[in-house]
Amino acid sequence: MIIVDDVHKRYHTDHGVGKWVLKGVSFAIPPKVSVGLVGRNGAGKSTLLRLIGGVDTPSRGRIERHCRVSWPMGYGGGLHGTLTGRQNAKFVCRIHGCEDDLDERVAMVEDFAELGEAFDDPVKTYSSGMKSRLQFGLSLAFDFDVYISDEVTAAGDAAFRAKAAAAFQKVADHAGLIMVSHAEGTLRQFCTAGIWLHEGRAHWFDDLDEALKHYKESLTA
Amino acid sequence: MAGYARSTTSVALSVWKALFLREAVSRVSAGRAAWVWMLLEPIVHVVFLMLLFTLVRLRVITGAETAIWLLVGLTSFFTARNIYTRGMEALNANQALFAYRQVLPVDTVLVRGALEAFLGVIVALLLLAGAGLFGFQVIPHDPLAVLAGLAGMCLCGLGLGLILSVASDLVPELGRIAQLLFTPLYFLSGVIFPLTVVPVQYREWLFYNPFSHGLELLRGGFFPLYPVAPEANFAYLFGFAVAVVFLGLAMHVRYADRLRAK
Repeated sequence: MIIVDDVHKRYHTDHGVGKWVLKGVSFAIPPKVSVGLVGRNGAGKSTLLRLIGGVDTPSRGRIERHCRVSWPMGYGGGLHGTLTGRQNAKFVCRIHGCEDDLDERVAMVEDFAELGEAFDDPVKTYSSGMKSRLQFGLSLAFDFDVYISDEVTAAGDAAFRAKAAAAFQKVADHAGLIMVSHAEGTLRQFCTAGIWLHEGRAHWFDDLDEALKHYKESLTA
Repeated sequence: MAGYARSTTSVALSVWKALFLREAVSRVSAGRAAWVWMLLEPIVHVVFLMLLFTLVRLRVITGAETAIWLLVGLTSFFTARNIYTRGMEALNANQALFAYRQVLPVDTVLVRGALEAFLGVIVALLLLAGAGLFGFQVIPHDPLAVLAGLAGMCLCGLGLGLILSVASDLVPELGRIAQLLFTPLYFLSGVIFPLTVVPVQYREWLFYNPFSHGLELLRGGFFPLYPVAPEANFAYLFGFAVAVVFLGLAMHVRYADRLRAK
C-alpha cells in the first residue's frame, strides 16, 4: 500500500524557486496493483516516481510506503561510473542489507546481465544498452513489493528485451508495479490501472485504457 | 531480504559499510599504484623540508628531533586536511548513489572522514616504523595526548568537511574560496615551524585556528622536552570540534532535500 496525500513539488533552481511541477497529487495504490503513469513530457512523471521512491521529498504533503519499495529504476541512475559492474552490484546488495547472501545475488546479476568480462570494467565504459542490462539485473536481485520503473524495459537489443520482458512479467505477477513508458504496448502488457498526470494533478483510473484515452485526448486538444 | 522492516540504525550501518568499502576501493585503486602516492606525499614533504632546514636555515627544533617533529606534524595535518577537502567533494563524487533513498548525503561525508582518518593513521604508523628502522626515537612519551590531539584535529576536519560540503553544493563559489584558504591554513597552523617562535602578540591570533592547538598538543605529547606554546589547550580544540561538527550536521539536516535534488 502506497499513500500519496496532497503532494506538491517544486524545485529550487539557480534563479530562485521554480514553478510547481505537482500541485496537490493524491491517490492510494493498493497492494499488488500495477499502475501505468501517463502524461505528456514534463508533466512530472519522473518527479512523481522519485518522490514515491523516496529519493526526493515533497515540498508539501506526504507519502507513506507501507511495503518494500524499490528505487526508481531506469535511465542510468543508481550506477556509479568509476566502479565496476560487480562493485556496483555489491554496493546495492550491501545497502539493502543483503550481506549474508551477497555472492549469490551478485552471481545472479552477473548471470542475467550477460555482460561477460565487461562486468569487471568501470561502468563509465559501458554503452547505454549495457548499463540498462546491469540495472535490470540489479532490479531482479531483490524481492520488492512494489517496483518503480522509469522506462527500464525500453533499452537493450531485441533478444535482451524479450528476456527482460519475460522476467518483468514474472515480477509483475507477484508484486506491484509503477511504471512510466511512452510505449503503449509495454504499459498494456504489464499494467491494469492507470494514472494520468495533467497540469500538476493526478487522475486515477482503475482501467488503464481510460487513462490512455484521456492522455491522448489531452495531446490532441 | 529485510526491506522496510529494518531499523533506521541498521540501515545506516549497512550504508556506512557499503560506502566505506566503495570509497576505499576508489581511493586505493584509483590510477596506478595510488597507495604509493599516499606514502610518498608526506615522505617527499619531510625530505624537502629537512633539506631546507639543514642546508638553508640551519634550524634545530628545541626539545625534538627535527625529522620526527616534521613527520608527526605533517602526517597528522595531512590527515585532517584530507578529511575536509575530500569531505567537501563527497557529495559530488557520490551523486549517482543518491538514487537509493537509503543513502543520505551526510553519510558520504562521514564515511569519507572515517576512511581518511583510517588511512592517515596507517600512513603515519608505517612512516614512523620506517623512521624507527633508521634509528630515530619514534615512541611517543605520552601516547594518549598524541591520540587526543590527532582525534581533535580529525573532528575539526570532519566538522569543516560537513559545513563545506553543504556550502559548496549550495553556493559553488564558496567551495572555491575555501580552497584558496587551504594553503594559508597550512602555514598558519605551524606545520613547518614551531609556533613558539611567533611573538606573543601575534601568536594569540594564530591560536584561533584549532589546528594550531592540535599540532602543538600532539607534538607536546610526542616529545617530553618540547616546549608547547602556552596558548594550546584541549578545551579549545575539542570545543571547536564539537561546534563545527554540530553546525555541519545541522546544515545537512536543514538542506537535506536540496543536496539530493539534481
